[in-house]
Amino acid sequence: MPTFPSVEWFDAIKDIVNADPAFRQLGTVDAVIGIKVEHKIYELTFEAFECTAVREAGENDLRDMDFWLEQSYDQWKDMVTNIKEHGAADLSHTLNTIDLNIPEGFARSHDGYRRDAFYRFNQSIQDFFNASSKIDTQFASLEAVSA
Amino acid sequence: MANDTATINEALRAKAQEKAWPVGLVQQALAAGATPEQIIGYMEQGVTAEQARQFLASQPPGAAAPEPSEALQAKAEAAGWPLDLIRRALAMGGAEEDLIRYMDMGVTAEQAEQFMGGGQPQELDLSWMYVPTEWNTRARPTKHGLTLQAINVGKYGEVPDVWEFQTEMPRGAVPIAGTEGMGYSIFHKQEVWSDACAALYEEAIQRRWRPATDVPWTSIEPLPDDLERAICQVSTHLSEKAQVEADIIGRWEPEISYGYHEVKLYLATVVFEDARAVEVFRKRALSNGGGLGLQAPGWSYRSVIDSRNFTEMSTIQFVLQDSLTLAQYQYGEKYAQNAAERYIFARAMQDKARHIAYGITHLKYALLHRPERREEIQRYLDKGEGMLVMDDKRDRATREAFAIYFAGGKERIADGLKLERAMRRRGLQQYLERLKWATLGRDARLHPGLRPAFEE
Repeated sequence: MPTFPSVEWFDAIKDIVNADPAFRQLGTVDAVIGIKVEHKIYELTFEAFECTAVREAGENDLRDMDFWLEQSYDQWKDMVTNIKEHGAADLSHTLNTIDLNIPEGFARSHDGYRRDAFYRFNQSIQDFFNASSKIDTQFASLEAVSA
Repeated sequence: MANDTATINEALRAKAQEKAWPVGLVQQALAAGATPEQIIGYMEQGVTAEQARQFLASQPPGAAAPEPSEALQAKAEAAGWPLDLIRRALAMGGAEEDLIRYMDMGVTAEQAEQFMGGGQPQELDLSWMYVPTEWNTRARPTKHGLTLQAINVGKYGEVPDVWEFQTEMPRGAVPIAGTEGMGYSIFHKQEVWSDACAALYEEAIQRRWRPATDVPWTSIEPLPDDLERAICQVSTHLSEKAQVEADIIGRWEPEISYGYHEVKLYLATVVFEDARAVEVFRKRALSNGGGLGLQAPGWSYRSVIDSRNFTEMSTIQFVLQDSLTLAQYQYGEKYAQNAAERYIFARAMQDKARHIAYGITHLKYALLHRPERREEIQRYLDKGEGMLVMDDKRDRATREAFAIYFAGGKERIADGLKLERAMRRRGLQQYLERLKWATLGRDARLHPGLRPAFEE
């Protein structure tokens, strides 16, 4: 059972969406997206119709990403759990809603233009996270992600 | 009867000599029923003596035209078909009864000649095959397919700073003299260009959606009257706004010369996406027992419609106004009452973000290449923001409708108005951030009428 957050967990979702014709039908996605969970950072690369790479990254890599998604670990767990329960994010757990709920924004970037990729590809990224409902997730301890 | 006794006239003899057709071969062709004019035509089309010999050899023995019957001759005379034409038709395999039927149908001799290819031989001009365009171009598909960027190779990928042609000539083609101008007025790259426009075009094409069938319309259930009225008013506002944008962009399309076809193509998708927004919000208003609401005062439309140059229009529309519209879509998705509204707002948000992406990348390009335009752009924004404030003062219907929609009912409108102001603030914040990215600081110059949004 993959652990959230980990390369293994994101890889499992990557494999699901890359094999899903519905994900392709949403259209092309070209973005490098960071996932920041406390001190852990993961980089997801989307190119054309698929997620092409997942890797663990560092704080300095954020500058080169189009944007990154950042919220507290509890909020991440809440989001992933909600998706598992409903098969997809309910209205209070969509990426967009979370973005509006967090004063600093859920999607952050050093570049005002590249941050807008969050809006342009919003439904594909949402679909990516919704695919996590198809796997069983175990959560890492707070200490593990804060290290 | 075949033309076996015909002599070779001077013109045919000269052409045969020029094209190296032996006299015997020419006589054989005449005997098979071809006229001297036809034979000359074949020679001019490049038919070689060898090809002609092979053709004649492939004809069955005695393939020379049979003599037409008296009935056919009489019919031909009545229909005005020359006997020579009848003989050639028969020689080509036509049956007498068919020819009679064609004449009865009113087919003229001229039409028959054209059908048989026996009219005046067409003059060929193959010089177009040797025009000096860049040849041996082999654009290759990428992971995204064969995109506009992928075919921008060699000379075809060179986007000139100034386009010198008034006509519809495609970039990379060879102009011909005397072609009439098409009335374009934009010939400078910095006036319209965005480095992202080709990619945005492909993205728009790939990420399209279909309101009629993709939106889960059946998820909409009856809403309390105040909520239904609110979403209908919001839908009226968003549909109207999209229609104005489509009209405005459509008006600028024919101004842009063909040197910048990537921009023209991308803007065509903007018009299409605006049309989709017009459609989908109108459909929402008319799908659940409600109807349309109140028209908007439309002051802010004027600042875009009245724009006298493209960058002015683009900055006010795509950067200022669309930043606010994007925030409306974002909040619309968050407070959607059903899956259909959620779908609509989420997809409209993606489209709108592309429009903004074009607007700010164009503005950045324009300021990079014409930094002296900085103050000019600021003045346009002064005007655009001023008109927006005029709308703010008068458009209570849209503000109140958003508030009721967000709060979930009229009785909680005070909470809803706070959310509406937060939406406004978010739109304005992002507008200023985007301008900053495009190298245009605006914080200190923001219209005083918009500042209260930041003071709460």
